[in-house]
Amino acid sequence: MRARDNPFAVERIHAIRYRPLHTTFAKILTRLDELNYRAALVGPDGSGKTTLLEDLQQALAEKGIGTRMVFVNDTAPLPEPACRQLLSETTRDEILLLDGADLIPRSCWSLVKRHTITHASGLIITAHRPGLLPTLIECTTTPSLLQAIASELQPPDRPIPAESLDTLFHRHQGNIRNCLRDLYDVCAQND
Amino acid sequence: MDRLSIVLNEDKTAFAPRDTVQGTIEWNLEKNPRCLDLSLFWYTAGKGTRDVGVTENVRFEEPGSYGTKAFSFTLPDGPYSFSGKLISLIWAVELTCTPGSETVRREIVLSPTGHEVLLGEVPSEGRLPWSSNRAGGNPLESILGARR
Repeated sequence: MRARDNPFAVERIHAIRYRPLHTTFAKILTRLDELNYRAALVGPDGSGKTTLLEDLQQALAEKGIGTRMVFVNDTAPLPEPACRQLLSETTRDEILLLDGADLIPRSCWSLVKRHTITHASGLIITAHRPGLLPTLIECTTTPSLLQAIASELQPPDRPIPAESLDTLFHRHQGNIRNCLRDLYDVCAQND
Repeated sequence: MDRLSIVLNEDKTAFAPRDTVQGTIEWNLEKNPRCLDLSLFWYTAGKGTRDVGVTENVRFEEPGSYGTKAFSFTLPDGPYSFSGKLISLIWAVELTCTPGSETVRREIVLSPTGHEVLLGEVPSEGRLPWSSNRAGGNPLESILGARR
């Protein structure tokens, strides 16, 4: 199977947006407003934090609220000089969206947290654990969620059995992203 | 209803390096756009992060709510259009309007043969593991397990 035809290709996965499990997107936005746009999306890897952050960015843009998104990960760290530059470029009418806040140095985090109180309209972060900012939502996954996502992506004529997806879900300890990567590989190995 | 279209001359979609891509864009929009952007670019699709390379971009400022324009792009030497199991590289001509979310894209092939280069053919049983009739065990499990 050509990569472009793989039903689990990245661009198709990216088209799947965040699905709140025990709440609604509208309630998330209301809660965010109550928290004065200073909040954390908390959850393990592959639970949808980044996807939700991107969805929030879109929703805020539709409300006319400006944002500045920064992605931090193991391959794209945020050293202190870059952090200071980021803060100097962030304006008072922007909300800073920081994906991977728990991966930046502690001194940088203190700076970001303090600076954005007066020099930005808000600070929304993702983190693996609670405690950095008030938790807006704890992102979780379930086997049913994986099944729902897979059913949208999978070849319609050859559905993946639910028990196989359950096995995959538990193998990856609920990391939906890694489950979908494995499903990509399975499809790539077969025509 | 907003409408954008790209018409390639002779409906040609296969090109060799340094060939010329010629065609016409057409637009019919409810509101006057600020500009139209026509781009020749390639992008990757597949398992990894998407990569993009824009080789040509033409902007039409204040084009009015409807009209047509001819275009001509000269293709570079590469990269060739190709597909493997992990990544595909796809060339396209894309027209977007600003403001608005309207976009239209025409895929083309760039290669010496005029066909997408296919990489890394690996013999397979020709069927998805979860649809196999092999007895015993979870078929997906066996595939995933064998890779680890």
